[in-house]
Amino acid sequence: MHHKQFAFILKSNKQVPEIPPFPGGIFCIQCELMKNIITVKNLTKKYSGKTTVDGVSFSVKEGEVFGILGPNGAGKTTTLEMIEALRPIDGGSVKLDGLDVAKDPNEVKKIIGIQLQSTAFFDKLSLREQLELFDGLYDETTDPNTLLEYVQLTDKSKSYVEQLSGGQKQRFSIAAALVNKPRVLFLDEPTTGLDPQARRNLWDLITNIKKQGITVVLTTHYMDEAELLCDRIAIMDNGKIITIDTPKNLIKALIKRGFTKPQVVEQANLEDVFIDLTGKDLRE
Amino acid sequence: MERYLTATYALTKAYLIRFFRDKTAMFFTFLFPLLFLFVFGSLNSGGGDVSFNIAMINKSDSSFSEQFATQLRENDVFDVTSDTQDFEVAREAMGRSEIDSIIILPEGFGELNDRQQPSGSVEVYYSEAAPQSGQTIAAVMEGALEGINRELGQPEAPLTVAQKSTATSNLSNFDYVFAGLLGFSILSLGIFGLANQMPAEKKTGSFRRLRASPIRKSQLIFANMIYYLFIGVLSVALMFAVATWMFDFDMRGDWFNLVVFIILGIVTMFGFGLAIGGWAKNENQSAALTNIVAFPMMFLSGVFFPRFLMPEWLQGITAYLPLSPIIDGLRMIMTEAKTLLDLGPELLVIGGWLVLIYAIAIRIFRWE
Repeated sequence: MHHKQFAFILKSNKQVPEIPPFPGGIFCIQCELMKNIITVKNLTKKYSGKTTVDGVSFSVKEGEVFGILGPNGAGKTTTLEMIEALRPIDGGSVKLDGLDVAKDPNEVKKIIGIQLQSTAFFDKLSLREQLELFDGLYDETTDPNTLLEYVQLTDKSKSYVEQLSGGQKQRFSIAAALVNKPRVLFLDEPTTGLDPQARRNLWDLITNIKKQGITVVLTTHYMDEAELLCDRIAIMDNGKIITIDTPKNLIKALIKRGFTKPQVVEQANLEDVFIDLTGKDLRE
Repeated sequence: MERYLTATYALTKAYLIRFFRDKTAMFFTFLFPLLFLFVFGSLNSGGGDVSFNIAMINKSDSSFSEQFATQLRENDVFDVTSDTQDFEVAREAMGRSEIDSIIILPEGFGELNDRQQPSGSVEVYYSEAAPQSGQTIAAVMEGALEGINRELGQPEAPLTVAQKSTATSNLSNFDYVFAGLLGFSILSLGIFGLANQMPAEKKTGSFRRLRASPIRKSQLIFANMIYYLFIGVLSVALMFAVATWMFDFDMRGDWFNLVVFIILGIVTMFGFGLAIGGWAKNENQSAALTNIVAFPMMFLSGVFFPRFLMPEWLQGITAYLPLSPIIDGLRMIMTEAKTLLDLGPELLVIGGWLVLIYAIAIRIFRWE
């Protein structure tokens, strides 16, 4: 991604079009044509005898937003960390853009961006200085100002991370993960703990990143978020993947199995009320 | 290679920027050692010049003894503050720390021996509570008598000091104190600094964030080492400035040798901090380990009192502590004008520890 492209990102970010309610349905035809950028085979992790990730296999297609859902302790984060070369792989293999993660962890790290679950940055360094540090670590020359503008933090460039709000921290964390113009961006629970406005703002940002052709792999506990953002979803429990499909197909399959719930036709829910009363404008 | 250096430089720069914004860290790195220097320096030098308050009792009626006593009165190092000729009175004054030492010129001191030369033995009494002063006074006295002996051209010294000192003569107490405090500063910077910093970074997750980038362990270590060398050299330079300005520190050796030796000392101590901080998962682990490693060095390597005051057997053992050769070497360069070439045994011990501790540190380092 070159500076010019970033300029394009900036423009398009300001006028994010309404996101279609079921993007999965639209993109799925395209998906079939896309190549796999991540291929996970039989991935396994054991901690003192207990298997936290138990022979997981799946692939992520280039350019899609791939969601990993599951209750706490399902093994989502551990799976992500093994793919990101942050945790040793006990069994199985991960190929990322043709690279073997176990053999070439540093080459893999060069082409991925990672936003960690706990936003962890140095204290007493301004946002600008942090991005300069990451420029140095990746030997890149991405202009910090461009990145900060992209995540709407231009006016915070001289602030420390510890002075940011939750939503700002997450946005900055994404900016830092974009320094090396990654092929794949990993987001671990990016919207946990954010207010409805900040969540919506982050959804727009993720949608925009996808538009740049960056593959996004994310974990989340919010089903509405997964439904809205993800082209495909893997649901994990007890270290295993139970199912993988588009959100739409998963819902269809459930109804086909005869699932019903009381038909309550609501024109709005409480969140709609909240957003209606407080507006969509970002607060921080 | 260039990429390697770019990343290392970027990280070093980030550490330095953060350090100069951290007032607490600045206090402990720069002011804390200076405070020690003020306290111990003032205690041991009596402000400005090194001088001792003494009582002098002249029991001899020889003319040589009379001259010797006059010279002693005029000497800058000694302040004859008590005129009493009663040993018991003087002893009580010393008990109250009014005087540092009692010097007795015994009966017959300075009388001519069978070679027609003045002879005798000066008796130096010092309080057991302050052996340092006594040792130093004895050493200074010995130095003075040696001068006279040489003038008399005697192969056998007719004039001696009754209190034999194991200390090298013509060293002031401040020289010992200053070398010790420099050692303390190097020790606390290298060990306490890193052993606190790394587990804290593991806890906040900034280590994890770094690790998400293609940075190598060696880059992290080098970046930290350069960062610590920078602030270490700065801190030591401040101590030298204060020592020179406030305590009339007199550098007799070669500055280049000293700087190289100090850098070697900081790198060695950094290795201990790296081993502890790199291994510890949290601050509790590192705090316990830091105490185990640092305290023996602090008390047995000559930081707060010179090692020559220890029993011989203990001196022999403590010479192999990693900080001992650093402090000894510093003192020898500064006060005895020794060069690195003269410091073979010290460099051997330091080098041994250096290899050992880095081999351990790199092996046990953990990112989280």
